[in-house]
Amino acid sequence: MSFQISKHLFVFPLFVVFGLGDILSAEDDMIDFNKVIRPILAKNCFACHGPDEGSREADLRLDLRTAAIDASAIVPANSDGSELIKRVLSDDPDLKMPPPDSGHELTDADIKSLRSWIDSGAKYATHWSFIPPTKKSLPAISDAGWPKHELDHFVLKKLEENKLSPSSAAKKLQLLRRVSLDLTGLPPTIEEADAFVNDASEIAFEKVVDRLLKSDAYGEHWSRMWLDLARYADTKGYEKDRHRDIWRYRDWVIDAFNRDMPYDQFTVEQLAGDLLPNRTSDQILATAFHRNTMTNEEGGTDNEEFRVKAVQDRVDTTAQVWMGLTMGCAKCHSHKYDPISIKDYYSFYAYFNQTQDNDMEGPFWPTPTAELSNKIADAKAAIAELSSKTRQRTGAFKTAFENWKKQFADQPLWGNVSLDSYTSKNGVTLTQNDDGKIIASGKQAEKDTWQLTFELSNAQPKPLPITGFRIEYFPQAKGGGDWPDKNVAIRELTAELVFPDGKTEALKLTNPRATFSQANWPIAKAIDGKKRVGWGLSPKYNEPHIGVFDFQNPILIDKITQGAKLRLTLDQEYGERLLLARSRFSVSHYPANWLKAQLKPNLERVFAEEVNADTQKVFGELKAAQSRLAKLESSVPKTPVMLELDPKNSRETKIHNRGNFLDQGEKVSPAVVEMFGKFPADQPASRLGAARWLTQPENPLTARVMVNRIWARLFGVGIVETEEDFGTQGLPPSHPGLLDWLAVDFRENGWSVKKLLRSIVLSSTYRQSSKMPSGDANVDPRNRLLSRGPRFRLSAEVVRDQALAASGMLSRKIGGPSVMPPQPGGVWKTTYSGEKWKNAIGPDRYRRGLYTYLKRTSPYPAMTTFDAGSGEVCQIRRVRTNTPLQALVTLNDTAFVEAAGALAKKMESLDGDLRTKLTYGFRTVLIRRPTDFEIDRLIDLYNSLKDSLDEAALLKAAGRETGDVQLVAVANVLLNLDETMTKP
Amino acid sequence: MTLPLQLQKTQAITRRHFFGNAGLGFGAVALQSLLSKNGDAFHENANHQSPSASFRIPAKAKSVIYLHMAGSPSQLDLFENKPALGKLHNTTCPDEYLEGKRFAFIKGVPKMLGPMFKFKQHGETGQWISELFPHLGKVIDDVCVIRSISTEQFNHAPAQLLMQTGNPLLGYPAMGSWVTYGLGSENENLPGFVVLASGGKTPSAGKSLWGSGFLPTIYQGVQCRTDGGDPILFLSDPKGMSRADRRKTLDAINDLNRFQHQAVGDPETLTRISQYELAFKMQVSVPEVMDISKESQEMLDLYGAKPGFISKAESAADPRSLYKGDDPTFANNCLLARRLVESGVRFVQLYDWGWDHHGSSLGESIDETLPIKAKQIDRAIAGLLTDLKQRGKLDETLVVWGGEFGRTPMMQNNVNKELKKGFIGRDHHPHAFTMWMAGAGIKPGVYGQTDDIGYYPTENPVGIRDLQATILHQVGIDPFKFGYPNQGLNQRLIGPTNEGKVLTDILA
Repeated sequence: MSFQISKHLFVFPLFVVFGLGDILSAEDDMIDFNKVIRPILAKNCFACHGPDEGSREADLRLDLRTAAIDASAIVPANSDGSELIKRVLSDDPDLKMPPPDSGHELTDADIKSLRSWIDSGAKYATHWSFIPPTKKSLPAISDAGWPKHELDHFVLKKLEENKLSPSSAAKKLQLLRRVSLDLTGLPPTIEEADAFVNDASEIAFEKVVDRLLKSDAYGEHWSRMWLDLARYADTKGYEKDRHRDIWRYRDWVIDAFNRDMPYDQFTVEQLAGDLLPNRTSDQILATAFHRNTMTNEEGGTDNEEFRVKAVQDRVDTTAQVWMGLTMGCAKCHSHKYDPISIKDYYSFYAYFNQTQDNDMEGPFWPTPTAELSNKIADAKAAIAELSSKTRQRTGAFKTAFENWKKQFADQPLWGNVSLDSYTSKNGVTLTQNDDGKIIASGKQAEKDTWQLTFELSNAQPKPLPITGFRIEYFPQAKGGGDWPDKNVAIRELTAELVFPDGKTEALKLTNPRATFSQANWPIAKAIDGKKRVGWGLSPKYNEPHIGVFDFQNPILIDKITQGAKLRLTLDQEYGERLLLARSRFSVSHYPANWLKAQLKPNLERVFAEEVNADTQKVFGELKAAQSRLAKLESSVPKTPVMLELDPKNSRETKIHNRGNFLDQGEKVSPAVVEMFGKFPADQPASRLGAARWLTQPENPLTARVMVNRIWARLFGVGIVETEEDFGTQGLPPSHPGLLDWLAVDFRENGWSVKKLLRSIVLSSTYRQSSKMPSGDANVDPRNRLLSRGPRFRLSAEVVRDQALAASGMLSRKIGGPSVMPPQPGGVWKTTYSGEKWKNAIGPDRYRRGLYTYLKRTSPYPAMTTFDAGSGEVCQIRRVRTNTPLQALVTLNDTAFVEAAGALAKKMESLDGDLRTKLTYGFRTVLIRRPTDFEIDRLIDLYNSLKDSLDEAALLKAAGRETGDVQLVAVANVLLNLDETMTKP
Repeated sequence: MTLPLQLQKTQAITRRHFFGNAGLGFGAVALQSLLSKNGDAFHENANHQSPSASFRIPAKAKSVIYLHMAGSPSQLDLFENKPALGKLHNTTCPDEYLEGKRFAFIKGVPKMLGPMFKFKQHGETGQWISELFPHLGKVIDDVCVIRSISTEQFNHAPAQLLMQTGNPLLGYPAMGSWVTYGLGSENENLPGFVVLASGGKTPSAGKSLWGSGFLPTIYQGVQCRTDGGDPILFLSDPKGMSRADRRKTLDAINDLNRFQHQAVGDPETLTRISQYELAFKMQVSVPEVMDISKESQEMLDLYGAKPGFISKAESAADPRSLYKGDDPTFANNCLLARRLVESGVRFVQLYDWGWDHHGSSLGESIDETLPIKAKQIDRAIAGLLTDLKQRGKLDETLVVWGGEFGRTPMMQNNVNKELKKGFIGRDHHPHAFTMWMAGAGIKPGVYGQTDDIGYYPTENPVGIRDLQATILHQVGIDPFKFGYPNQGLNQRLIGPTNEGKVLTDILA
């Protein structure tokens, strides 16, 4: 009896005051520390008398029982003797607690609760969410026929406690639309609706659920939830906010949901996929989760400052996403409410402080799509096959080759030319040896320009037109001389003929090729007419090399017989003595495609590649395949990922005093907050171990937070309403037993999100009608008791996707780079980056909202109007607003007007009278059949618009050329109904 | 079940998001006046609320017009008369100003850059104003010039964010969002927080500067566009649908929604009906308030406004080379701002881009571009203050002017080592810069001083938190008590610590 009195006296007034709204269950007869007392202390006292030593006043802490008792603030069983009570009752502004200027004030009910709690012994308890969940036995209920699933017991129990009964089951079509939107984000089709209605089997609904969970649309829809958490966006943020290629991560998430990757694995791969043994490229891709942090490319920024901000963001996001904890405030000072000190913060930070990224986009990882990987593998296989084919030699080939080869006995492929004369601007001496090598000696000039004039008449046994020439470069070991091995820098090379009378004729050089060219100093740059760069050989200047050029017009015999000489001018004005100190020049009359840049000319290869028709064809195919492969490989998207620093470069982690990275204090080692479980003994002290710590059964939060999140997406509010805060400042769960049961079950089911969703949507709780009792009869206005089914506005993406799907325009392409559906001109007026929004044409105009390009500093307006985020920081839950700007979007935005046009077309194409057409349109959007009132009202509207609309203009706006314009206007209405915007 | 019904309804709007720890109800008060005065689901709450939430204090300003010069104008060429700096002109910068400093672009040892323009004393207060602001000089007796402001950020995006949202990172609510969250709007047909941009680009930090952060998106700033398209996105009905047609379709939507409400009973449906009605009204009221062509020629001349003028600079890839002194875009926005606050809009934020005068490329110099930019705003701002005063509105409208930081007394030297016409510039300077406030209980005059070259404040230093605290204070919000719970903190515009203070010295 005494329990009941205390409940009436204290418990009831409390929840009015706090607006907890969460109806306390009968099992909580005593004043519960966690439910009643901790919120009072946390809200009013802990800021100055809590865990944060930095802001603690009077050296008193009230968050620990012993400390509070030692300080006589609390005397158990004696509230009158407790200083705490004296202070809160005091009239003296100097003594009164909380201090009048703090903005906090206790109500009489608070004080009564505190007294009662102290008088009954002042028992403290660990905050509920810091104790690992256990599956308690199902509560006893009276209506045993109602539950379809264990979870229904918890819900019904609470309803019965509150003298309520569940709502009746939702109608079949209402349920179908609800579950389709919930599991896939897309509405069912009329065909699916009819099939479900006609399926009388007991498991008709289960079949629907299983079909939906198997569809690709499932992963697309649920990945959106995760992308909010991952702060996914297509740009880098801050001032420049330039494009970032990270859509492969988005596709990884879609795929992980569709494959139902267990949540523990999903966790480990995203936080530490790069540290897994035998890591796959997909596991590395997963780590892009934490590369969605912003990078600042503004001039003059300190990379370390923004690297630190990114690492802090990773720590904060990890704590928020997996544990529902707000660690962020501990980066400046110890947490004021939860037991997380600034040292705990930076110890956890230390795990994340060892990655290579440094406010730059890299490191990147090649992350081909499956399709691209397959194409690359095919191309490689084709190349292997073709190249083995190119090595096959038939007898006929051998004979033909022997015959062909004979010509070189008379006339070698290359004939050396002898140096007739030369000039050196800076006085270098050049001498030619008998073997044709030209050796520089004497003064070793810093830079120089040479003119080398060669005799042509004796270059070849037979006088024939000359098609090309070759430069051979030799290192000192192969050519001698006193010039040390150094790079060469032929900035520009020109050729001309010099006739005996002094006249000259320029020779155009083409088709430059070399055995090797230095990066950014390709041989082609030697003949590009610009002197800035040319042909260089670093770092391979201690090996011989060859460069070959063709003459665009061969040097004809008559010119040679006239005594023309070849003059080459070599601009070597780079400096650092990069001169061609040992070289040889030779010419050829053979076809240009025979003249390879090869150290040892391979005549058989030339014959096979260039002369013999059969083998030539195979080589041609090989070349085509190689260039195909190169193209494919260059199209592989590269994604920013997490990669650990080389241990010898590892960073020291120190506490950042007051969060200031320039003011570092005590050094810390990586560590977890052990209150949430000991670090797993068999795991490395790295991100990998930290990730596994999150998913071990001892962790009290990870499973609870995830099941709560999924529950919230289905029911509109979580069992813990403050999805973002499971700490002492958060709200307590409405159904603690249910939350824990689901959390444990989730883990026991192999962390399967699909199984969890299946359980929930098959429950009687989910299947209730969402009809609300009117007026005062509605004792559960926010549905916190789950006395009916969920009904709330669809998310931004679903609003769009539903309109596109119903109108038949939705593109079902999955994944790929983000797209730019129409947005009004001038929205992207951003500084500097010069990137432009180009309205997509074709199917990309009608992709799911998930694929819409997201620029952080200028997000897609139609989405943000419906409360989608901008990807700037981790968004745990979206608020749901209901604003006039939303009406303007769905009434007037091009996407929705075009959807109305397409929906009208669908209606038109149906045979039948107006009523039939409109009924079809209504069902396409809302699935259920319209009532007479509804269909009559639409017919009235249709008729009232006769001769009123500007037919040509509205049809054009709706993306149509011809058609029934009144139907377009009616379709616009259908896409704007409250029921359309709402999950039923 | 004994929970009072009205309280339950209060909770129906994602309670934590609207009410937080600051006591029940102020959000609903704001929300209600922001959205609609009748017929919505929130209406009943009003009776339940205490009319003055705990953070409310007596207000001087009903509304705020904040003029942000994105890029940051040079205080040394506009407000700070520094003859001593003139004497150092073109000499090597003393080491004491370089040691341990981080600059955005200055490298090595730069030269000092004296004032590039003449200063003259104006008004009864005898304030020194640059020759670039002749019109502002005439109204300077209504203005409180604060010369001693410093910030912690020296890059545009973080500094703009710190100024406007109280945090250098993206994702925090704008000052305008905070104010409308706290006070609501006075016009049921217009958004409470309106943003107008000019200069051809949005500021560096983009639309995050008027985002609502963790506050509900209804408090997000609504950018009204003046470049010829819809003033509010999606405001126009589809082509071919007349107002009468829209009315017919809306009547059908509302009838079907009412029917739905009878069947299902969800109060959100009623809210949706009223929001569709409000949207319909906004389709008329917004273009109306945005139409300055109805103003008299005299009024247009006062501002230098030209109705319907669409500047080429507004759509150019690089607008800076197209700037002209008589470009009326900013002037039009000033006139609009007056019309908006007159219609009850709570917070009007103007951004004018193009004030980043480094001197490193064409169209961003102190010597050539600054005079053009100054000309674009001088008459307009003087006109705004004069107009507000004539209407008796200056007493209840707080006007704030400034950039996100100041500019260095040194010449920026990374492109040009020497003075070169059209390329004279100054780097970012966070340590001391000038802003001003006028109207709504602000005492005219000069506040704060800096040293001889304007490098550091020497008297009455003012931080960004102080400015924010003062602005909130003038609109009737206690900046220390006004917060919103998020991420485990009671988030406030003025930041988590109490370093900020209301600048009581400048209050009348």
